[in-house]
Amino acid sequence: MNYPVWYLPQLGGGLLIAIIAVLHVVIAHLAVGGGLFLVLTERRAVLTKNSALLEYVRKHTWFFLLLTMVFGGVSGVGIWFIIALVNPAATSSLIHIFVFGWAIEWVFFIGEIVALLIYHYRFGKMDHKSHMALGWLYFIFAWLSLFTINGILGFMLTPGKWIETGNFWHGFLNPSFLPSLIFRTCIALIFAGVFGLVTGAWLKERENRRTVFRLCARWMYIPLLILVFTGIYYTRVISTESFENLFHYNRESTPFITLIIVSSILLFGLGLFTLVKTSQTVQKIGALMLVLICFGWMAGFEYMREIARKPFVLYGHMYSTGITPAQMESVNSEGFLAQAKWTEVKEVTEDNMEEAGAEIFRLQCMACHTIDGYNGVLNKSGQLTERGLEALLTGMGKVNSYMPPFAGTGLEKRAVAAYIFKELQGKSIPSAVGYVAESLPLEIPAFDPDTSLYVLLAWNDLGMHSISDNEKYFSFLPPANTLNAQLFKRGALPEVVTSGIVMEYTVEEEFQHPEYHSMFWQYDEAIFGADLPEGTGLMGKGVNGTMEPHGSVFAAHKIPVVPYMDNKTYNPYPVFTITAKDESTGELLAVTKAVAPTSTEMGCRNCHEGGWAWNDVSGMADLTAINILKAHDRFNGTTLLADAENGEPKLCQSCHADPAVMAPGKPDVLNFSTAIHGFHANYLEGMDQEACNMCHPSHPDGKTNCFRGRHSQVGVGCTECHGTLEDHALGLLANQSDKMASARLARGLEPVFAASKEEIKPRMPWLMEPDCRSCHTNYNIFEDGFDGTAFNRWVPGFEALYRNRTDNHGVMCSACHGSTHAVYGAYNNYGLQRDNQQPLQYQGLAGTIGTHGQCMVCHTVEMTSNGHHRNMVNRDPLPVLVE
Amino acid sequence: MYDSIIPTTDTIPVHWLWFQVLLIFTFFIHMILMNFLLGGSLLTVWDLLTGKLEKRASGSIPTLVALTVNFGVPPLLFVQVLYGHLFYSSSVMLAVPWLLIVPILILAYYGAYIFVKQADRAPLLSKGGLIFTTLSLLYIAFIFVNNNTLAIQPDRWGIYFKNPGGWNLNLGEPTLWPRYLHFLLAALAIGALGRAIVYRFSKMDKKEKESQIKRNLKIFGWITIIQFGVGSWFWLTMPDTVWKTFMGGSFFATAMMVTGWLLALLILHSSFTGRLTTAMILGGLEVLVMVIVRELARGAYLKELFRPSQLENVGELSPLIAFLLVFVVGLLAIYYMIRLIFKSKDSPS
Repeated sequence: MNYPVWYLPQLGGGLLIAIIAVLHVVIAHLAVGGGLFLVLTERRAVLTKNSALLEYVRKHTWFFLLLTMVFGGVSGVGIWFIIALVNPAATSSLIHIFVFGWAIEWVFFIGEIVALLIYHYRFGKMDHKSHMALGWLYFIFAWLSLFTINGILGFMLTPGKWIETGNFWHGFLNPSFLPSLIFRTCIALIFAGVFGLVTGAWLKERENRRTVFRLCARWMYIPLLILVFTGIYYTRVISTESFENLFHYNRESTPFITLIIVSSILLFGLGLFTLVKTSQTVQKIGALMLVLICFGWMAGFEYMREIARKPFVLYGHMYSTGITPAQMESVNSEGFLAQAKWTEVKEVTEDNMEEAGAEIFRLQCMACHTIDGYNGVLNKSGQLTERGLEALLTGMGKVNSYMPPFAGTGLEKRAVAAYIFKELQGKSIPSAVGYVAESLPLEIPAFDPDTSLYVLLAWNDLGMHSISDNEKYFSFLPPANTLNAQLFKRGALPEVVTSGIVMEYTVEEEFQHPEYHSMFWQYDEAIFGADLPEGTGLMGKGVNGTMEPHGSVFAAHKIPVVPYMDNKTYNPYPVFTITAKDESTGELLAVTKAVAPTSTEMGCRNCHEGGWAWNDVSGMADLTAINILKAHDRFNGTTLLADAENGEPKLCQSCHADPAVMAPGKPDVLNFSTAIHGFHANYLEGMDQEACNMCHPSHPDGKTNCFRGRHSQVGVGCTECHGTLEDHALGLLANQSDKMASARLARGLEPVFAASKEEIKPRMPWLMEPDCRSCHTNYNIFEDGFDGTAFNRWVPGFEALYRNRTDNHGVMCSACHGSTHAVYGAYNNYGLQRDNQQPLQYQGLAGTIGTHGQCMVCHTVEMTSNGHHRNMVNRDPLPVLVE
Repeated sequence: MYDSIIPTTDTIPVHWLWFQVLLIFTFFIHMILMNFLLGGSLLTVWDLLTGKLEKRASGSIPTLVALTVNFGVPPLLFVQVLYGHLFYSSSVMLAVPWLLIVPILILAYYGAYIFVKQADRAPLLSKGGLIFTTLSLLYIAFIFVNNNTLAIQPDRWGIYFKNPGGWNLNLGEPTLWPRYLHFLLAALAIGALGRAIVYRFSKMDKKEKESQIKRNLKIFGWITIIQFGVGSWFWLTMPDTVWKTFMGGSFFATAMMVTGWLLALLILHSSFTGRLTTAMILGGLEVLVMVIVRELARGAYLKELFRPSQLENVGELSPLIAFLLVFVVGLLAIYYMIRLIFKSKDSPS
């Protein structure tokens, strides 16, 4: 933001830093350990009067000088050059904070050079004591040089108290100073042994080679033990977040951890050849191979340090974007472009979205990313839509703190997403085709209040059941709809009939064959462990069948109805006809109709690409499912995509517990609702019910519009009951706080409907939902205490849920008021009264059963008292919203 | 026009004058060494082409590379402390040729060793090594001149927006070529002086020694004469506000410039009369004065935009004290090591 960016769309500055750094760091460590190697080997040669060994030291000194002083010295300046080019802001900070540290290091550097030059040029021309004194001085200067640089390198990863004090010594003698110093000293000694082999392998005399090889083997293996223990110590002093980034949550680190493990095994495994009698050719090849492995090992180590430091370039002080945490607030409010210096585009408008996005990407993202080369954004973003990219930018630095948070306004975020999606990926958003649901005809059964002896009320339990609809890859919501029904015998005091009857249900003709439209029965055994007959659901029910009594209610669970009609029409509201018959005579006592709402309009595609699977209308496409599994595998180290491609798709709840499907899950894994809401809340922040509509089939302009009850018509949205997505997620996460991932998902979320996270009450999904009485205090519409939200006022448990509650007479709330999300007075896109068939059947108006003084639906005498709950009679009736 | 894109600065731990003095002092040493190296290499190439190669003066080239690079570090550090925000910006603009300095310098370093070590075994390779090293040093000097001129002229930074890929040399800058030529001639002059010093301390035939000293001092003198012309050309290509600073605009700057001229006149006298010690002192003083003039010119360029005194001093003295202590210990250690050379016996015991 403060400096120009070197535009390297293919190569990338990060790769250049890595190449120069790895080359330099290996030689720089050799320069330290090799110094001790020289002087100790010289001492050994002098003490043992081994002139051949002394000659070896002389030749090795020349090799050492050419490698360390020439290549090592200048490549060190090279690192300075390249970091200043790729991240000038961080370089400037390091220079200004540690200017005298660098100056001290320079004094040691010149001491090194003078000592080495004299040591080399005067080899054999001085007395041994003086010559070895020079050797010792060289090593001391070289190690002090490491000592100094180590303090500054350690600061970059663990600045410790410096963050608060800004004190030079706090930054220099930081928490990782000591482990890093010991660790690097061990590396230096090991490398001294390895490089000693190189000149040793070229010695002509076999015996000399053996002597040198045995000597070098000691240098390689003795520091190894200390190295291992110090390595463990090292990982303990870095921050928890760094540790997690390195070893738990970030798949980017896997190749480098593998690299360091493999190269360690190779280094110390292959190194054993030094102890075996082999030909000189093998020794030469072996020595050179070990040198190569050293470079690989160092690359692994340096990359791990780099990853541990993410998302910062100077931990806690400056993000890898060159922006400091202190700058974020003003950048986010005033805009990145407005504050960035090196751009000619100063603001985003609807006309310059891609141009502005390109500028922001160049100035903010290109410190690490290229366009299509190393760490190229093209390779990493292809699985997301433009909206998904915007979400990705929103979530940066939260769940996975590997990347820094995006700095800029919402519009700037959109601009970057547009640039990546449209300009870089060359994609476009298909023009939105307005979907108009067909108003389908209804045949409402007859009811004669004068002659009918029974009233049959039926409803779906949830008001909407979604189906994940791509069992080829995974499932978390199978076709499984539940219908409930209650039969009332009319009278002065009506009775709930619970025995002696047969309750049957049947779906409309066009929905009779769900197996024609769903993969559920192809993968039922792999996902659910049950080989079900086609058309039969998980509880043995088909789309036609009988309902079983459960207390005062008859129910058919997990009816496998799908929203696809045989005539290729999408209809998420299949109508079921429910009949109650006398068990002994078969006489038809009552008949009614109810919808079993079921939708495959899953919003995953909004971000995860793929479009619609079923006739370009609904259903999850393969590409969407694949992209989701790829993301899951990348974040969590799972192999779900490979498993699915091998014919073993999984039920998400096989790991993630879920009361909705009675799945116990795995003990350390978040339950399903918490995981999916907790994760995505980080990516869809700052939205009201638009966030809900992104995923659920509740968008008013969508193909389902599942939130269609009376509330939707009076300005009550999803968030009035559930809170915003952040609030919703925080309640769920609070309930799972014993699990490791919970804190990680919660840390980036800020509550909207509560003053603090602590105020949000823990909530178990499906079992603890908003209490209707939060607003409908005293069963009225607006009462004292109504503050416009039911959020954070959970019912205590399953039995107290609206869908499970009854009055004192066993009458279910839903029986009279309708399904959750579709309470009577509902407004259905597929025919206005599709959800209101029973109110219309029994009382001719689309409100609660019994509203407007219609007690006669069940009661054969006029009622003057509140029989079911308070405030039923003697009140101003509500207007009928749907007529 | 581009004032608004000048990056904001970081804080400094002690008063800016500390860094200014350290910058002048270390850059002066670097300049002397660099002039010995570059001028010496150019003169050696000339000797090579004219068949007059003399190993005594050229054998120290690899060591000079080591010392020049090493003494290049502190001025590069201190200039970044004072002018880093300008220097990093200009470096990015010419990132590619700037970064190429690193591999080229490594190869030049090896070239210098090839020149010295392979002189007898592979003379052609040896000569190639020297020519490569010299050309590389010329390249490095040219890129430094480009970067340094770009760093002090934010009004030219608009070139970045046309080419952000790091290929912008500052070729449109009027002072570029006279400045480069001025520095090259200075390198030749001081290089010749350096060679004269080497001959002065070489064990060789007295007559030949005197002849070589005389020859090199004459080169020093003649190039100083040419510098009057090139230096004036360089001076007058600078913006009015800059060159007028040295023409009465600033008393101190004018005094420094006049001192430089006077020293040059004295150099002519001492070099053409063969007075090495006097020439050596005057040459050193001239380099020091020119280093100060260069700093004053930078200040004049940036007068309206930035002054190091604007840098916020956070007042943290202890690291400076630590550095000064380490510096003294380092000097003592180097003194001890050099003493060891002379004290120790000639052959191992």
